[in-house]
Amino acid sequence: MDIYLPIAEVSVNAPLLVALGLAVGFISGMFGIGGGFLMTPMLVFLGIPPAVAVASMSNHVAASSMSSVIAYGRRRAVDLRMGGVLAAGGVVGAFLGVELFRLLRLLGQADLVVSVSYLVFLSIIGGLMLTESLGAILRRRRGEPNPPRRDRRPPWLYGLPLKMRFPRSRLYISVIPPLVLGAFVGVLSAIMGVGGGFVLVPAMVYILRMPAGVVVGTSLLQIIVTAVLTGVLQAGRNQTVDIVLATLLLLGGIVGAQYGARASARFRAEELRAVLALIVLFVGLRMGLGLFIAPEEPFVLMSGRLG
Amino acid sequence: MAVDAAPPAISAALTETTVHVSSDFRGASIVLYGAVFEPDSRPSDVVVIVRGPEEPVRIARKMRVAGLWLNSRPVVFQGAPGFYIAASNRPLGEIANFGTLRRLGAGVDHLPIRAPAEQRVETRYGVRDVVVSSLGADYYDWRQAVVRLKQKAGLYDEDGRGVRFVDRGLFRAEIALPAGAPTGVYRADILLFQDGKPVSGRVRTLTVEKVGLERTLYLWAHNRPWSYGLASVVLALAAGWAASAAFRRD
Repeated sequence: MDIYLPIAEVSVNAPLLVALGLAVGFISGMFGIGGGFLMTPMLVFLGIPPAVAVASMSNHVAASSMSSVIAYGRRRAVDLRMGGVLAAGGVVGAFLGVELFRLLRLLGQADLVVSVSYLVFLSIIGGLMLTESLGAILRRRRGEPNPPRRDRRPPWLYGLPLKMRFPRSRLYISVIPPLVLGAFVGVLSAIMGVGGGFVLVPAMVYILRMPAGVVVGTSLLQIIVTAVLTGVLQAGRNQTVDIVLATLLLLGGIVGAQYGARASARFRAEELRAVLALIVLFVGLRMGLGLFIAPEEPFVLMSGRLG
Repeated sequence: MAVDAAPPAISAALTETTVHVSSDFRGASIVLYGAVFEPDSRPSDVVVIVRGPEEPVRIARKMRVAGLWLNSRPVVFQGAPGFYIAASNRPLGEIANFGTLRRLGAGVDHLPIRAPAEQRVETRYGVRDVVVSSLGADYYDWRQAVVRLKQKAGLYDEDGRGVRFVDRGLFRAEIALPAGAPTGVYRADILLFQDGKPVSGRVRTLTVEKVGLERTLYLWAHNRPWSYGLASVVLALAAGWAASAAFRRD
C-alpha cells in the first residue's frame, strides 16, 4: 500500500513506515532517547530526501517523547526544574544549529559534518557506555560488590556561580553546566536530525550524576522542547516538514513508546545501557564507514533549492 | 499525378493532458499518438522530446583528502529540465548528425546544461571572448555525472526504440513518469525528420499537478509555513498525549 508524500514528493510504503515508527518508538520509550539517530538514516535509506527526513523526524520525536514522558511523569520520574533548565539551553542551541546547518548546506559540507558527528559522538558515547555497563554486569555475575560509587562530582561543578536546588534530583549545583549541556544538545539535534537523548542521558548520569530514576524522564522532557522548536523552525525556514510522513511515523511511534516505557521497568538498568550502547556504536560506525570507503559513484546530486 | 502536393507534416496528441498527483500516485504512463502525412513516401523518422520544468542542479564530487572521502565545493548547473525523455523510432545518432541534435537539444548528451558560475570569458592565444570553465578538463565528467545521476533516478531517458509505427504513417510513444517527477508544465516536442533534417514539428503541453489533500497540504506548507509547522507539531503532541491517555486505562 504505497502512499505519495506531498512534501517529500516520493511514494513510499505506508505500513512499512508505521512499523518503523513502532520499532523506533519502542526503543525510544525504553531508553529515554528520541530515536532520531536510528530513524533518520533509515528514512534516507528508503529514498526520502535527507532534508525532509531530518525535519519530519522532529515531529515523530516530539510525539513519541510526549507519549512516554507522561508515563514517566506518573511514576514521578521527571525532574521538571532540571528539564526546564536543560530546555532553556536547548532553545538557544537549536537556533544556532539551524543556522549552522544552513551554512553547511551552502558550502556543500552538510553530509560530511553529519557523518563525522555520527561517527565521533556515537562511537565515543557507545564505547564509554558499553565499557561501563559491561563492567557492572560482570561484577554482578561474579558476585563482587560494586566499587564504592564515586559520588564526588567534578569539583568545577561546585565552583560555578548561580547555584540552584533540584530537589527531585537531590542536587544543589550551578545552572551553567545544564544550560551548556542543553545548548550543545540543541546544536547537535539540528545538525544530526536527532533529539539528542543519546548525549543527554550519559551526560546526566556521568557528569551531573543525577539519580538513575529521573534521568530518562527528564531527558525526554528536554527532547520534547527541542523537537517542537526544531519542527516549527524547519517548517518555517525550510518548508521541509512532511506532515503525512510525520503522521505515519508517529502512529507507530506513540504506541511503541508506551510499550517501551513499560518494558524498561522489567530490565536491569546496566543491561539496558549495554544494549543501547551496542545500538549506538553500530549506527555510529555504519554512518562513519562511508568516509573511508571509496565511493562507487564519485558524484552526488544535491537539492538545487536552498530553503 | 500529384507532383507538388502538400509538404510533409506531422500531427500528434496526448491521451492525457493533465496528470493528477494524489495520495496513491506511483508514477504515470502517458501515451502519445501521432500521424505522419507524407505524400511522397520518403523515409521519415519521428523524435518525441518531453521536457519537465527547469530546475537548477547542485552537484558535488567526492574527493579523497587525508584518507577521508569528502565532498568538493558544489557546482550549480543551470538549464537542466526536471524531467527529460527523448524517444525516437531508431537511435538518435542514426537519424541526424551531431550539430542538428545539439541545436535541437535532442538526446541527453545535447541538453543545454551549463555551469555559468564557473565560466569566465578571457582572451587566449590572441582569440577574444573564449569561454573558459574553472572546472577545466573535468567539465565533461561533471556534465555527464549530472545526466547519469538523473538517469539513475528515472528522470532522464533516451529511448531509441520509444516511438513505434503501428500502421502506415501512424505512430505511438509511451512516456513513463516516475513518482519523483516534478510538478509543473511539461512540453512535448514532436519532430519529423527526413534526410537528417527536421521538416515538421508539433508542440503539446502536459500538466503535472497535485490534487486534493496533497495539493492542500503542499500549498499550506509553502504559503503559510509557520502555521503549518505549528499545526503539525501540535498534532504530534496531541497524538502522543492521546496514546498515553488511552494506555492508562488498561
